[in-house]
Amino acid sequence: MFAYALRRIVATIPVMAVVALFVFSLLYISPGDPAAVIAGDQATPEDVERIRASLGLDRPYLVRFGEWVWHIAQGDLGTSIFTNLPVSTMIAQRIEPTLSLMVITLILAVGIAVPMGVIAAWKQGTWIDRSVMGFAVLGFSVPVFVVGYLLAYVFALELDWLPVQGYTPFSRGIWPWFQNLILPAVALGGVYIALIARITRATMLEVLQQDYIRTARAKGVGQRGILFLHALKNAAVPIVTVIGIGVALLIGGAVVTESVFAIPGLGRLTVDAILRRDYPVIQGVILLFSFTYVLVNLVIDLLYTLFDPRIRY
Amino acid sequence: MTTDRRRLLAGGAGLALAHAAPTGLSRPALAQAPGTGVLKFIPQADLAVTDPIITTAYVSRHHGYAVWDTLYGFDGDFNAQPQMAEGHSVEEDGKRVTIRLRQGLKFHDGEPVRAKDAVASIRRWAARDALGQVLMARTDALEAPDDRTIVFRLKQPFPMLFAALGKPSTPVCFIMPERIAKTDPSQPIREMIGSGPFRWKADERVPGSRIVYEKFADYVPRADGEVSWTAGPKRVHVDRVEWHVIPDAATASNALTNGEIDWWEQPTADLQPVLRRNRNILLEVPDPTGLCGIARFNHLHPPFNNPAIRRALLGSVVQGDFMTAVIGTDRSLWKDGNGFFPPGTPLASDVGMEALTSPRDFEKVKRDLAAAGYKGEKVVLIAASDFPSLNAMAQVGRDMLVKAGMNVEFISTDWGSVVQRRASKEAPARGGWSMFFTFWAGLDMINPGVSQSLRGTGQNAWFGWPTMPKLEELRNAWFDAPDLEAQQKVAREIQQVAFEEVPYLPLGQYFQATAYRRGITGVPKGFPMFWNLQKGT
Repeated sequence: MFAYALRRIVATIPVMAVVALFVFSLLYISPGDPAAVIAGDQATPEDVERIRASLGLDRPYLVRFGEWVWHIAQGDLGTSIFTNLPVSTMIAQRIEPTLSLMVITLILAVGIAVPMGVIAAWKQGTWIDRSVMGFAVLGFSVPVFVVGYLLAYVFALELDWLPVQGYTPFSRGIWPWFQNLILPAVALGGVYIALIARITRATMLEVLQQDYIRTARAKGVGQRGILFLHALKNAAVPIVTVIGIGVALLIGGAVVTESVFAIPGLGRLTVDAILRRDYPVIQGVILLFSFTYVLVNLVIDLLYTLFDPRIRY
Repeated sequence: MTTDRRRLLAGGAGLALAHAAPTGLSRPALAQAPGTGVLKFIPQADLAVTDPIITTAYVSRHHGYAVWDTLYGFDGDFNAQPQMAEGHSVEEDGKRVTIRLRQGLKFHDGEPVRAKDAVASIRRWAARDALGQVLMARTDALEAPDDRTIVFRLKQPFPMLFAALGKPSTPVCFIMPERIAKTDPSQPIREMIGSGPFRWKADERVPGSRIVYEKFADYVPRADGEVSWTAGPKRVHVDRVEWHVIPDAATASNALTNGEIDWWEQPTADLQPVLRRNRNILLEVPDPTGLCGIARFNHLHPPFNNPAIRRALLGSVVQGDFMTAVIGTDRSLWKDGNGFFPPGTPLASDVGMEALTSPRDFEKVKRDLAAAGYKGEKVVLIAASDFPSLNAMAQVGRDMLVKAGMNVEFISTDWGSVVQRRASKEAPARGGWSMFFTFWAGLDMINPGVSQSLRGTGQNAWFGWPTMPKLEELRNAWFDAPDLEAQQKVAREIQQVAFEEVPYLPLGQYFQATAYRRGITGVPKGFPMFWNLQKGT
């Protein structure tokens, strides 16, 4: 398996190279001009042109691409056109809030959605099942920002239990850190809970019809043991797959959630960079997201072997 | 200063130059007492560019006033007042101007502020600023004979000199250490070292999210003068000012309501009624010159390379429609009857205004367009959909052009794409454009010296590139006008010519409120500045 993991990691290099080429080219041909943004609305075209030249933005595609790739090969993601900070520093500044939000959302979502799906399957056709499915439909249908505003209104403005916005670093204490993340994680988790709960229910229903479940019941295994030891383990492969796919959902959702709750994470960094056409930052962040996604897929593939001994690499 | 203050900016500075005796020297004030508390502020946008000279972004100007100081300030009567300058003298019939720096001024790195720092700063600013360019074109020599003396040797008297050095329209002439001010004006500076009342906390900055300023303990406010806009003593009563960038308006509103934030610079029009109902929050309009909407023509290509077509469209403008779309129906928040200078400012007049205020008749506009030679050419209108006020103006503008019978192609995109496309001089059908919408702060249109959209220098003019030699001639005459009366006379002529040539369509003036928690006192007029305000409990 180690050899397999290593092969997969090595295989990420061409994937990342294609992503790099694609991102760079797309940004090159897309409209927008960081020099114009720097110069401001009132600047004359001459001013804009001078700034563009001074930033080297008037150089040919191949020169700029070659330079960027050369730096990437040395582990240098480049420097922001606007802040003059290394892109890696800007990512490092922003990664903690996004990781925190994703981890809490993931724990919250898996912790709630898997039992919900299991119970819904167990109580198929009852009001419990219908309630869980109703919640899942709601979770899919209501946009993250609507849930976010509603939560902020109730729990921050009306009840004054939690802050409306912002982020406190983990180093300043667990509670202040967690306090700022509760509402965003709940808002972001809605879709994710809905997705995992539905898949868990569907897979569990299929597994619960299997012969070995009947055998286990005949042997006198209790309901809890059947659901969580026998059925859930065998239903785990599709559930883990969906959790992995959902990481992409989380990355996309984090952009909206971070804006609604003013969390200084990678999502907002990306949006700001796109609006300003801060090319090095956009390229760096997209490379990071792509790498994360490739890595998550690898981890999921490796997890399959834990749940299904028939799978071997 | 004994000179009529209004004249300084509006043009009477010539009189000041001719007659001003050395002004009274101010006494150095004691360094400030420690401030208290942290002021949390939501700026209008993220501080994308920290160099206030390279950019004309307003948010960078506000950052600039925190970190740097200016030789002259600007008061609520639109006059220049000494700020870092202790005083000045004007000799040799206005051709030699000597400015003396106040004593005890220090940069944040502990170095004293010297005249050569000011000279280098003026030169860098002048390379980027339209008024600065005029000043330098009329300057034979700019020297620093000693550490506290700056001397301008002028080719001819320049009445606008003090107004230019103190003007708050962007870019502002901030004074930086010489080594920083020597940076190429097309390259952003990297060090935020000023002599202003706040020190930049680079280590606490999270770009796009948080900017922090700390009170500069060694700042010496003026001992004299009246606090007004950027003029007068700058006394700091808070230890820190934190800018929290919250791009989402609803979140910003909630944060202010919940007391997590003290001051929100620009509450959106739709949320202002909600905030007004909250007894803990105050809203006020800080800048009486407001913001002026414009529809800018591309003068290089048909159909708007034809002045008769541009003139005909004046008859279709209903400024009230544009302003209602931008800021709502509350008449106290906008004005129509806005010509080429903002209403309520010294150069505003009613010359030619009937073109905008007479009854609207779209059938007549259609006839006028046909008579002017409009043959159904495509009008490519570029609109920024991510900028609510600009999008609102563009939507009303499209409706106006369609009603006038024009063949409109409406391209809705983001602001970043608009700023790139508007730089294209290609024909509209080949990736160029015909018209876009924007707004300018009233301060940036207050006179012909600062109003970029009134320039007629063709390929070198602001986007749209109008060639209007008569306007340029009048602008030069305005610089030479000796007093306010003479300036107003030239301004009336400029407005008359502008209504004939129509560099752009004026769309009205609106006023942006600012919102802050009750308990904050001393919120400045003009734009966000953080001195003289206090945070109560």
